[in-house]
Amino acid sequence: MDAFNTLMANLSLGFATAFTLQNLVYCFVGCLLGTLIGVLPGIGPIATIAMLLPATYALPPIAALIMLAGIYYGAQYGGSTTAILVNLPGESSSVVTMLDGYQMARKGRAGAALSVAALGSFIAGCFGTLILAAFAAPLAELAFKFGPAEYFSLMVLGLIGAVVLASGSLIKAIGMIILGLLLGLVGTDVNTGTARFSFGIPELSDGIGFISVAMGVFGFAEIITNVDMKDKRETFTNKVEGLILSWKDFKEAAPAILRGTGIGSLLGILPGGGALLAAFASYTIEKKLGKNPQPPFGQGNIRGVAGPESANNAGAQTSFIPLLTLGIPPNAVMALMVGAMTIHNIQPGPQVMTSNPALFWGMIASMWIGNLMLVILNLPLIGMWVQLLKVPYRILYPAILMFCCIGVFSVNNNSFDVLITVLFGVLGIVFLKLGCEAAPLLLGFILGPMMEENLRRAMLLSRGDPTVFLTRPLSLVMLLMALAMIVIISLPAISKKREETFVEE
Amino acid sequence: MKRRTLLHAAGAAAAAVMLPAARGQSYPAKPIRMIIPFPPGGATDILGRVLAQKLGDQLGQSVVVENRPGAGGAIGSEMTAKAPPDGYTIQMATVSTHSIGPALNPKTPYNVKRDFAPVIHLADSTNVLIVSPSLPVNNLKELIAYAKAHPGKLNFSSSGNGTIVHMTGEMFKMETGTFIVHIPYKGTALAIPDLIAGQISLMFDNLASALPHVKSGKVKTLAVTQLKRSTLLPEVPSMDEAGLKGFESNTYFGVFAPAGTPAPIVQRLNAEINKALQTADFRERLAANGAEPVGGTPEQFARVIERETAKYAAVIKRAGIKPE
Repeated sequence: MDAFNTLMANLSLGFATAFTLQNLVYCFVGCLLGTLIGVLPGIGPIATIAMLLPATYALPPIAALIMLAGIYYGAQYGGSTTAILVNLPGESSSVVTMLDGYQMARKGRAGAALSVAALGSFIAGCFGTLILAAFAAPLAELAFKFGPAEYFSLMVLGLIGAVVLASGSLIKAIGMIILGLLLGLVGTDVNTGTARFSFGIPELSDGIGFISVAMGVFGFAEIITNVDMKDKRETFTNKVEGLILSWKDFKEAAPAILRGTGIGSLLGILPGGGALLAAFASYTIEKKLGKNPQPPFGQGNIRGVAGPESANNAGAQTSFIPLLTLGIPPNAVMALMVGAMTIHNIQPGPQVMTSNPALFWGMIASMWIGNLMLVILNLPLIGMWVQLLKVPYRILYPAILMFCCIGVFSVNNNSFDVLITVLFGVLGIVFLKLGCEAAPLLLGFILGPMMEENLRRAMLLSRGDPTVFLTRPLSLVMLLMALAMIVIISLPAISKKREETFVEE
Repeated sequence: MKRRTLLHAAGAAAAAVMLPAARGQSYPAKPIRMIIPFPPGGATDILGRVLAQKLGDQLGQSVVVENRPGAGGAIGSEMTAKAPPDGYTIQMATVSTHSIGPALNPKTPYNVKRDFAPVIHLADSTNVLIVSPSLPVNNLKELIAYAKAHPGKLNFSSSGNGTIVHMTGEMFKMETGTFIVHIPYKGTALAIPDLIAGQISLMFDNLASALPHVKSGKVKTLAVTQLKRSTLLPEVPSMDEAGLKGFESNTYFGVFAPAGTPAPIVQRLNAEINKALQTADFRERLAANGAEPVGGTPEQFARVIERETAKYAAVIKRAGIKPE
């Protein structure tokens, strides 16, 4: 009962913070902008956040984070819209939504698909927020027991998790993570103050800006390769109607939404997991449940939209838990949030909750508000987003690129950053052509320096004794878990199965 | 290097010859640019922005803040050093950009004495010595005795190599003849949990960032590093009274113009900023950031810079801190 009371007190503090007119406006603007960019084909939440990040610099920290959370949900929802209407996934997790969503649209039920996606996301969002609020405080308590050795082991576990759970080629995922780690080495060494790989360029002595990397490999690269795609797609942008779900639809979708929410909430907490894995898992389960679904999966079954959409939103929500309590990003989107928080002088980690409770709980409350806004404001606006898809790319994309450049420049008022971004844009195109996913790169880039810092700190504290990682029980447990993950993934039976899961459809 | 000196000399001469107007009442005739060599949100930025607004109101010309962060403040400072010395570029600076940085890194792209005209010593912000609750000491003398009895066993954390937090720790080691291992962090936010957990024994944190932990009682607070007690923490003794005579380590915040800026302009800015320092709301903002107003003449500021630079150069030399 006591725990419940604290939870309520915390949540009411959060809502009191988030429910100021100013913060509501930023939340709304975030959702709106997020959807606006997210709805563009091929541009997922990571690219959207990377592009819009500079827009939040001028704001006070709470407002900025609230707006970013809004952007995140907006982008994710925008991605689903494009997946359903145009059959182009904005991000990897909407690949699953596309399977049945686009088929529903082809059968004239685009409205129902969009509604169920929004509703599922909202319900999952509510649930995810509650879990986040309930588990954040005890987890943060635990986090205070984490020293450098534990942080290092946790990050090892996180990176291995990211490799194991990555879609596509294992080798490529490892390669990209290592490349990210290497890029993270550029800059001034924390322990000695020596500049590494800076080639005498003062701008590089602070390391490569993560905005430049993120905006380059995601924003620039994805926009440019989109222009490259010439094939005409059948779109259903004129036939969006019937947004109200029928009772029959609702009855069918509701259990799928609940199941998706459960799976998503669980998987989101895992390092390297998050939205994508949750969506895949939910779809697989929906497919296995109940014989003879009508219509069959892959041909416009509403459960195939409801489940994964709920799962990816719940996963998105709960993946904030490791970030907010431990300061460790479980996936690329959260890695971006770390960067955003650092820019606002907030070091993510357990101390945020105690030193800045208004910010912490305000952000959690705003996640829920953001989800609500998506339903009551964005759903009616779908027509408008659809219009956006009709703007010729030759006008739309150069305009976006220009705004990206302005955004990058505005971070440090330095044109060097723009050049670096362009460089990473080119690299990103190469990665896309080679079929290398850039998300592990970003994760490695953010986690690498943190890992090195904690490794060397732990060694300094133990006066050079490496057994410290094995003699501290929490650290040992995490290293054993990491080892178990490697063993499991390398079992022939599993690795074969893994390929099948991700090749699906 | 020589060429730049020449350029500066030429610039100063040109300013003296060509800008008779600058001597008179016509300054400022256009907006003034204030470079802040750190990203938005930090103490330097906040103080700079408040000052810019005050100064703008008093001068009747807007003072435009420009954040030019990077390389520990060296990028923005270099811009100021190379800006035309006409009074339309000024800069916020700190002990790190104008004393520790140049002393630490021989490749610093500017020379403080040659390239800058000090305008005013705006404020000082002190550090506070906090120790882990698990460390069996309750005052400075006990800490020194404990450290002497356990050489190489204690750790002190800092917000990074070459920061004032680090320098203060090294200075403490030098003056007490103790051996304590330095554990650098990126910023102090993550160092505090380790200090509370007992992995880190002590730290000279910046007052503003340590204040919440000091007030919550999760850390033991032994002393402040300015000579007199801080008005923000009147119950805590200074290092000086707690047993280390003359121990002083503060972050100075100051305003600079490029070398060669006409003296009347420097005087005018100095007078206006001194006036701004008297206002209650400016003092409030300083206090909120753990800083206390100083003020005074440009000459006084120049002496402070010289003194501080010499002090930290000695620490760097003695402790053997080298960037490469």
